[in-house]
Amino acid sequence: MNTDVEDLLHEGMERFTADLRAPAGLTRRVVRRRRQQLALRSAAVAAAAATAGAVALAALGVTGAHQGGIATTAYVVKRVDSALSAAEPGQIAQMTVTTTRSGVGPGGTTATTTAEQWSYDGTWRSVTYSPAGHRIYDEGFSTSSRYTLVNYQTRTWARQTGMRPALPSLGPLAGFGRPAALVSGPHGCEPVVAAAPLLFRPGLPGIGFSASSLPAASALRAAVSCGTLAVAGRQRVNGIEAIELTSRPGSPISETIWVTPGTYLPVRVVSRSAYGQPGLQQTANVTWLSPTAQNLAKVTVPIPAGFRQVPLAQAIWPILQQIPGVPQPASRAFCPSPADLARACFPLRPPAPWPFPG
Amino acid sequence: MAADRSAAELERFLAERADHLMRTAVLLTGSREAGEDLLQTAVERLLRRWRRFDGDPEGYLRRTLCNLAADGRRRAGRWRRKERLLRTGAQQAQDATADVDLRDALVRLLWQLPSRQRAVLVLRYWEQLTDAEAAAVLGCAEGTVKSAGSRGLTRMRELAGKWDDAAAMCSRNGQRS
Repeated sequence: MNTDVEDLLHEGMERFTADLRAPAGLTRRVVRRRRQQLALRSAAVAAAAATAGAVALAALGVTGAHQGGIATTAYVVKRVDSALSAAEPGQIAQMTVTTTRSGVGPGGTTATTTAEQWSYDGTWRSVTYSPAGHRIYDEGFSTSSRYTLVNYQTRTWARQTGMRPALPSLGPLAGFGRPAALVSGPHGCEPVVAAAPLLFRPGLPGIGFSASSLPAASALRAAVSCGTLAVAGRQRVNGIEAIELTSRPGSPISETIWVTPGTYLPVRVVSRSAYGQPGLQQTANVTWLSPTAQNLAKVTVPIPAGFRQVPLAQAIWPILQQIPGVPQPASRAFCPSPADLARACFPLRPPAPWPFPG
Repeated sequence: MAADRSAAELERFLAERADHLMRTAVLLTGSREAGEDLLQTAVERLLRRWRRFDGDPEGYLRRTLCNLAADGRRRAGRWRRKERLLRTGAQQAQDATADVDLRDALVRLLWQLPSRQRAVLVLRYWEQLTDAEAAAVLGCAEGTVKSAGSRGLTRMRELAGKWDDAAAMCSRNGQRS
């Protein structure tokens, strides 16, 4: 019986498709279309070079909304903006963020920190790893403005309510580690952001320096809309032939975003200092997840069994001590409240143009 | 190696294999139009990387077809699948009395199956791949292919069983009249 059904299925497939042929001229059609696209791309690259990388480039696989396959920066930015608008809160942004900072410490060595981050509908979580791959700390905000920090080195955890990372009212933090101004201005770009159009402040992850302290889709959307990016070409990123958007010449921060032609959602963001000193670079590989129960669980900071709950300051302090260049609180007996934590406990340096000088 | 490959080489390959891949695409999608779309999209993807393509183009296209078919099916949404089930269910009842071959019914049942099961059956019984080869195409474990194939075949056998019953009933009715 088994074999009968298998044989019958095969025969059925044979019979059903017996008269099928590939569309006439498939090869020629596809090849011709590909050649046209390449020609358009070359023309667009030339045009872009002639106008200091300002204008057009052929975008493969983009049809309908524009003539002849040419996608201008405005067109791509518009599509990215729409995609990001739909992605929030429709999808969870999952990012692997690698921050490299050269000239750290007296020896001027290079430090690399990796963090896994998730952002969804006003919530975010960031897990920071040591260069050896060990989990150092895990922090996150819930929708109820509850901040949770788990310090894996001291096996402690802390929780504070009433904290909100992306609110401009946090004052100093907005310009420090958090690009709240990106979405707070009438045009989506405040002057400080226009001067330093960062999607992700290339600081060190954690404790207010997390890339995703603002919902990632909002931050990306606002930064893309700032008008500082231009289509630069195509490049393979994570197996995808992605559209590359880079900072226009003269931007203080060099930033490149790659978006997928199909969805126009960013798949990688690289930010680096244009000043040369200090050498900071942050690379975020972005994956967009559907908000299933399993994926949503990733946005919540789990408290490991056996860890001891302590005041927030006590959990933060050992971490801050390890971050070079980060302003340190004056003493251990600090920050009795979240408001103090934001306003007074950290003597923040001016945010522009660069928050973390060597 | 990744030496540059010419467009003519791709044309030669497609001239030789496009018809077969077209049949695979139609089996994966359930219609000629959708199959054409699928094949063209897959060929475009191959073309984008053709110059430096280092591998088996047919395997790549097969894998792309399976992935695109699964994506398309996901996009189609649940309601469309239900609609198709209802439509095919109605056809089944009709088929039992009409003179339609069981083989055709099995192919129609194929399109009711979840995309993974369908892809496994197409790869196993149309492309004649082994479980291991099908697993490589689908990017899953061999065990997954086996279980998906087994579940798909179980549905096929159920249909074949019903088909035999209906045929027997028709035969009895014919004898009575």
